Amino acid sequence: MAAWDLSVTVEDLGPDAPPVTLSVASDLHVGGVILKLVEKTQIQRDWSDHALWWEQKQCWLLRTAWTLEKYGIHADARLLFMPQHKPLKLGLPNGKTLRLLVCFSNPVFQTVMGICRQLNIRHPEELSLLRPVEEKKKKKDKDSTEEIYDLTEVPLSSASRPSLYNGMPAHFADSPQMEAIYKMLSVTQPPPALRYILFVSELDCKISFPLRWLDSSRCLMQQGIQDSDRVWLRFKYFSLYDIEPKYDAVRLSQLYEQARWAILLEDIDCTEEEMMLFGALQYHISKVSQSEPQMLSSSAAMDDLESALQSLEVKLDGESSSASEMLPCDCFRPKRLTLKGYKQYWFKFQDTSICYFKSKEESIGEPIQQINLKGCEVAPDVNVAAQKFLIRLLIPASEGMNEVYLRCENEQQYAQWMAACRLGSKGKSLADSSYQSEIESIGSFLAMQKTSSGSHGNSPASDESINTHSLVSPRYHKKYKPKQLTPRILDAYQNVAQLSLTDAVMRFLQIWQALPDFGLSYFVVRFKGSRKDEVLGIAPNRLIRIDLGVGDVVKTWRYNNMKQWNVNWDIRQMAIEFEGNVNIAFSCVTADCKIVHEFIGGYIFMSTRSREKSDTLNQELFHKLTGGHEAL
Amino acid sequence: MDDIDAMFTDLLGEMDLLTQFLLPPESLHELEDHDLDALMADLVADINATEEKLTAQMKDQKVPPPPSSDLPAPPKGLSTYSASSIASPTSPASSTGSNVSTPASSSASPLPPPPPHFKESKREEIEAQMKADKIKLALEKLKEAKVKKLVVKVLLTDGSSKTLMVDERQNVREVLDNLFEKTHCDCNVDWSLCETNYELNLERIFEDHENLVEPLLAWTRDTENKVLFQERTEKNDMFRNPQNFYLWKKDKKALKEIKDRDKELLVQENFCGTSVIVPDLEAVLYLKEDGKKSWKQRLFQLRASGIYYVPKGKTKSSRDLVCFVQFDNMNVYYGKDFKTRYKAPTDFCFVLKHPQIQKDSQYIKYLCCDDAWTMNLWVTGIRIAKYGASLYENFKAAEKAAVSSVWTNRSTPSSSSSSTPSPTIKGSTTHTAHRDFGNVPPPPPPMANILPPPRPDAFLPPAPPPLARKNSAKPPPPQRHLPTNFPPPPPAMDNLPPPPPPPPMDDALEAPPDFLPPPPPAAGFGSLPPPPPPSNSFPPPPPPGSFGSMGQSLPPPPPDPGFLPPPPPQPVFTGAGAPPPPPPPPPPPTAAAAPRAPVRPSGSVKKIPPATPKRTTPSLQGGGGGGGGGGGGGGDFMSELMLAMNKKRST
Repeated sequence: MAAWDLSVTVEDLGPDAPPVTLSVASDLHVGGVILKLVEKTQIQRDWSDHALWWEQKQCWLLRTAWTLEKYGIHADARLLFMPQHKPLKLGLPNGKTLRLLVCFSNPVFQTVMGICRQLNIRHPEELSLLRPVEEKKKKKDKDSTEEIYDLTEVPLSSASRPSLYNGMPAHFADSPQMEAIYKMLSVTQPPPALRYILFVSELDCKISFPLRWLDSSRCLMQQGIQDSDRVWLRFKYFSLYDIEPKYDAVRLSQLYEQARWAILLEDIDCTEEEMMLFGALQYHISKVSQSEPQMLSSSAAMDDLESALQSLEVKLDGESSSASEMLPCDCFRPKRLTLKGYKQYWFKFQDTSICYFKSKEESIGEPIQQINLKGCEVAPDVNVAAQKFLIRLLIPASEGMNEVYLRCENEQQYAQWMAACRLGSKGKSLADSSYQSEIESIGSFLAMQKTSSGSHGNSPASDESINTHSLVSPRYHKKYKPKQLTPRILDAYQNVAQLSLTDAVMRFLQIWQALPDFGLSYFVVRFKGSRKDEVLGIAPNRLIRIDLGVGDVVKTWRYNNMKQWNVNWDIRQMAIEFEGNVNIAFSCVTADCKIVHEFIGGYIFMSTRSREKSDTLNQELFHKLTGGHEAL
Repeated sequence: MDDIDAMFTDLLGEMDLLTQFLLPPESLHELEDHDLDALMADLVADINATEEKLTAQMKDQKVPPPPSSDLPAPPKGLSTYSASSIASPTSPASSTGSNVSTPASSSASPLPPPPPHFKESKREEIEAQMKADKIKLALEKLKEAKVKKLVVKVLLTDGSSKTLMVDERQNVREVLDNLFEKTHCDCNVDWSLCETNYELNLERIFEDHENLVEPLLAWTRDTENKVLFQERTEKNDMFRNPQNFYLWKKDKKALKEIKDRDKELLVQENFCGTSVIVPDLEAVLYLKEDGKKSWKQRLFQLRASGIYYVPKGKTKSSRDLVCFVQFDNMNVYYGKDFKTRYKAPTDFCFVLKHPQIQKDSQYIKYLCCDDAWTMNLWVTGIRIAKYGASLYENFKAAEKAAVSSVWTNRSTPSSSSSSTPSPTIKGSTTHTAHRDFGNVPPPPPPMANILPPPRPDAFLPPAPPPLARKNSAKPPPPQRHLPTNFPPPPPAMDNLPPPPPPPPMDDALEAPPDFLPPPPPAAGFGSLPPPPPPSNSFPPPPPPGSFGSMGQSLPPPPPDPGFLPPPPPQPVFTGAGAPPPPPPPPPPPTAAAAPRAPVRPSGSVKKIPPATPKRTTPSLQGGGGGGGGGGGGGGDFMSELMLAMNKKRST
């Protein structure tokens, strides 16, 4: 067979080096080409990760046993010899950027699996990569010097599950730097600066978001992603499977971050009450995650009689005398419904009740009234600037609710009584262990109000300190002043203040998942037979058809009734058949048909997972369901 | 005699101290005789348990011989407060046998840590330990004393009622289990407890995980509210027909035709994920609030976080929604007859209010739907939003209970019939009949967790009477269907059925309590006098003394609170009776019982609270006598009760 010249550019020789020319025959296999090439470069190194990339055809020549003829390569082919694993800048859900080696030659699905293995995220099938938002605005200096966490030194391992040291993958235990990276991955970030939220929200990624997903069945190179480019890693399929806080530190914290941003940016709609609760949870989570995790002494280890006795004694004490002694000496002026003005009484807290007396001297006798707080509503009415510290109590009785106001003299007193009332409303006495922390958090919310109202105005708000505005979406920045917002968040906070870090994160995720629009990705489509564009929403368990004008859901189809679906790649149309002879067909207006197809197939794949097989991923099935004609 | 009286007085005083009884709905006078019996039985059982525990505890330390006991003292909470309707002639069910309800497992769980174990400990070894235990015990008692108990009258569908004592730690599921035993209903998952509010014409199904006592305490003193025991299909409809709630927008025909597989999937999707999904309801409902008279229409939406409405002129977008209510401190009720009462547009109304509110108030929100379907959709949707995963757990638990009850019921006839005829020797003739029933082990929930197989020793110490009483009575081990298990006991058993089992049974059961020794007992009990004659007035309490003396011979009785030791069922008794003196606590029985103990456990399979056959006739009498004699230490309640008893007796 005749020999001819094949020129190959070797990346390792530098960008300016001329291509290496080899004399080859058409029956030479790819492996032989590589061998010749390596010999010719005379460089001693490990070439095992290298492979040939065919530029015109945009494909890797990974089958080394195939001949050039079989690949259809002729003398005009421009080949590139380079490593399959290259560094990539990976934007995480928490806004941080990692630099790590990823595979450029396998389908993105596998690339993501590799990334997740490095980061210790289970269930990589739920995540994928997407192109970052075009950052049209020139970023400020601060942003360009953004910190990049480097993971490129991590050796590529093929083990499916890395071994763990101290609860983290071995490669993170190597050095303090690596440990710091792991911490960044697994610990939730403090609330973002207000300005940053505004900045990101202007990018308006809601509409374009689903359009930017990379194709899972093709490799990065094929999708124009180059060495050191930036891509985002995000959760894509919201059928979150088998969450186990014990093993899912990174997964949970990244999921939380993604959820938090979805809410702050209003990618998902929620009501004002829900927003306040999300705000309260964020505050709580950031507070708890920043303080050192304190191990609560397990109460199970009460075998020791001494300790058992002690705790009982404490409890009895708390329930009877000493608790009431703790706070008695404060004067309050309750306002009874119709009485105008406040009258001063001597108040005492006992168990879950408030008693009041004419004066301190009489506090030994019968109280004027005793109010049991259990089940009551406690609301703050506070204005730090005006030194107004009111506690509003709505106390249930068989005839209805009685309204009582307590006025406190100062912050300190307010925090104590507020905490006591809150515990009381939940049926807990002051002896409860959460009393002190409740006081503290009320105190810190008051402090927040102080600083935020102080810096309100034109001064650039967000310093490093937490600002209530950074806990809610920009809509509420416009709607409320900080001093209005703080009490509302505080109000919601009382219901979550007792949660542990993990529980709080889980609660956040649960509320997020319970939102009606959770997990929906939207695409503009044109249904067959319809003359106008409509929106197709793809959820973990169903498709919905939404009227673009009104925003109403017109129709819902559930996957479990789906019999089959087809894609006509020529006219870019998807046709789906459901049980009961229901057929729908639509073409995609904004997105590539493949993205929609992959979403639906992906969700069907997710529903096939089962606990027994959860360790191994059926990649073949995934590609079969999502790949379309290219998968073959 | 004197001794007994004394003891009784003492006990009454004790009880007064220890327990706080609340008699809510109906006053004592309205109680039926049989109710009184049942209550009395409960009370006494309670007292006995406590005393028993104490004595046992003390004894334990002293008694060297019965080494094997690691019976912790039965926390008195454990004692069954069975409200037995046994005697109640009215209820058809009762005729079957005793219905003793045992809060068994339920009450057990919340109990303080299991009392210390006395493992073959030699006396010397544990002086300190003993002291510590005493302190602990005292503390426990203190704690126990704070537990509220309520006497609740539950109306059945046939118009009759059952009266039971409910401990504040018991949840509705446990109370339902008790009622299952008392009524011999089919135990299906739809059985529910409901509360009605007379004043407001409301009704609501209690959720199985709720505590029963708490909501009842909100009732006003003179209330005419009722607690009903009924089958309510809507209780678990969201699990049987999830499509009606989650696919409510589809047409009704399609919903009917939905396949089981799809239903399952819906349940899976909405209740088994990380978060419970609330049906996304939306409807125009009529609202009456703020104490106004008029009903106005509004477009409402249900979300996990609450009910919202769309303000006029706004879109349905989430951010524009106005929060109508959130669900903390809010319960949902069905409204009855609102059309006439409040001029509602239809009769399909529901109400949201704070559980504490009992009368018409501006804080109550009245909502009215176009039809029953919509109303059910909303009430159920609100329940899902409010209670979340608990509902599904309740349903699962109820299903399990239903399944095991099938077993129980099957066994019922056999066991009851065999044991039924045991005339009691002792005490009051009047009560004999009832008593019999009492003893008859209720259809033994054959298997009970409660029967802790692992600790056979538990029963070893044959029962110090009290023990026996409560526990023993309970779960008569399944007899018929588990023949295999029975090997050891057979002999005893055989005797049982036909001939009225040794009378001691009953007595042993109830009387046992230290104070009421079984009649026949002979010499052994020198100190233990026979059943207290009704008419006694209580002399000063010498109880301690008597206990002490008993103590010597007594093995440590107290069963473990954690699991009710399987009551030495009949076999035990028999055994006890057979041996010469059926002394209440005597060791001999131990021997007899011992072999059996192991057996029983094996028989036990599942968990079902054992039924406690109880019927504490003897004690009743004692009580009555006390009352007549001017009542010793009894509190208001006690004396009232006694008076009533006396009255009854005299008539």
